[in-house]
Amino acid sequence: MDERRTGWVLIVVLVGQLVYLAIQGARAGETRIEGIGLRLLGPMARGVASIPAGFQDAREGVKLRGTLLEENRELRREVESLRLKLLRLTDVEGEMLRLGSAVRYPTPPAGRVRAVDIVYVDHTSWLRTLILYTGKEPARKDQPVLSPDGLVGRVFAVAGSYAKVQLITDRVASVGGMILRNRRQGVVRGGSRGNELELDYLPLQADVRPGDKVLTAGIDGVYPRGIPVGTIVSVQPGGQLFHRIQVAPAVDFGTLDQVYLLDYQTVPENLKEASPGGKP
Amino acid sequence: MESLKLLAGIVLAALVHFVGVRLWPDFARAVDVFLVIVALHGLRGNSLTGLLVGFGVGLLQDTLTSGPSGLFGFADTIVGYVTARLAQRLVIQRATGVLALVSFASALQQAITLGLTFLLLPVPAPLDPVWAAVRTGACGLLGMILYIAGGRWRRTSEARRRGRMSRLRLE
Repeated sequence: MDERRTGWVLIVVLVGQLVYLAIQGARAGETRIEGIGLRLLGPMARGVASIPAGFQDAREGVKLRGTLLEENRELRREVESLRLKLLRLTDVEGEMLRLGSAVRYPTPPAGRVRAVDIVYVDHTSWLRTLILYTGKEPARKDQPVLSPDGLVGRVFAVAGSYAKVQLITDRVASVGGMILRNRRQGVVRGGSRGNELELDYLPLQADVRPGDKVLTAGIDGVYPRGIPVGTIVSVQPGGQLFHRIQVAPAVDFGTLDQVYLLDYQTVPENLKEASPGGKP
Repeated sequence: MESLKLLAGIVLAALVHFVGVRLWPDFARAVDVFLVIVALHGLRGNSLTGLLVGFGVGLLQDTLTSGPSGLFGFADTIVGYVTARLAQRLVIQRATGVLALVSFASALQQAITLGLTFLLLPVPAPLDPVWAAVRTGACGLLGMILYIAGGRWRRTSEARRRGRMSRLRLE
């Protein structure tokens, strides 16, 4: 093919891609091409992810007996203290339910968590990604992803047994958050520098201090209330109206190797689609 | 045969990428193995296959990012085409020429993706000049190493084939 025709092919391909990008921007969802790519690359990523685990198992096998005994003792102590804590919490939960039923407060349903393996993680580049292997039971779009330390993100693309996660540190991600101490609500966004978060829309009058814990507020229709998001590290006057608040994530993304999918439907689909003034 | 080689190259690039990210979290920031494949293929001088390979590899690369799908597809299409056009016009005989060309391809890709994010994303991507420079240099270096290794492998297999042919003639 001569160069002139190739030039035309280039223009067609580029214009096609620009249209594709523009359509995606309007829909902001998963694409078919992404699904195909995930199905092709997912098994490879899973294969690579399983190799270091094999090495680790072998290393664990030759660990000294003394070290294992000490580790075992420590774990037993931890289990004991967790049991005590659970007992106290069960008591508090019972009391809360009793009080709730007294005032006819409908308790939100508790979600079920399911452990899944991470097969690929890139938390350093500006396009932060996590790919999960979910096994036979596929993930659901917008499903919250947690770690024992707190909120990781949400599922935004699913292809068979693989799911792509948008981390909360992603620059375009946002989470409805609240300060644990005074229940002040704002929006947590991915920060402009590395693995940092920003808490926006908190007025200058609001009482915010470094060290305050930030939890999910349960107002965004994706995440349930009460999941740890991070800790406030700095508060500065950002402008005439709002504070400029930096938040350190509760999760260390560099150490993740397994996460939990939360089966939790906050807003029913028919309610999400319904719009005020629309057809009944 | 050529398409099989290309496919093997893409699979190898994906494996290197996954292993690299597993061993060193900053690997994806420091080097782009997919771009190296696109640029090395562009060196053959066929602009049509250059742009098509860039398009395919870029879309595959988009799967591994959380940005809009097609961002790298768009950038790599241009990179594949430009590299092939440059290879048609320049006579690249030395490995340092490959280093310069692949480094240029990496810089071009980063500039295009940065420009696109400014246009498409509500919050544009931050520019980290240090990492951008590291990525440009690392891609060039990797491209040069692969070019030298490929040349040696070709020469060795050619010599082996010639040796086999001469033995056949003697018999």
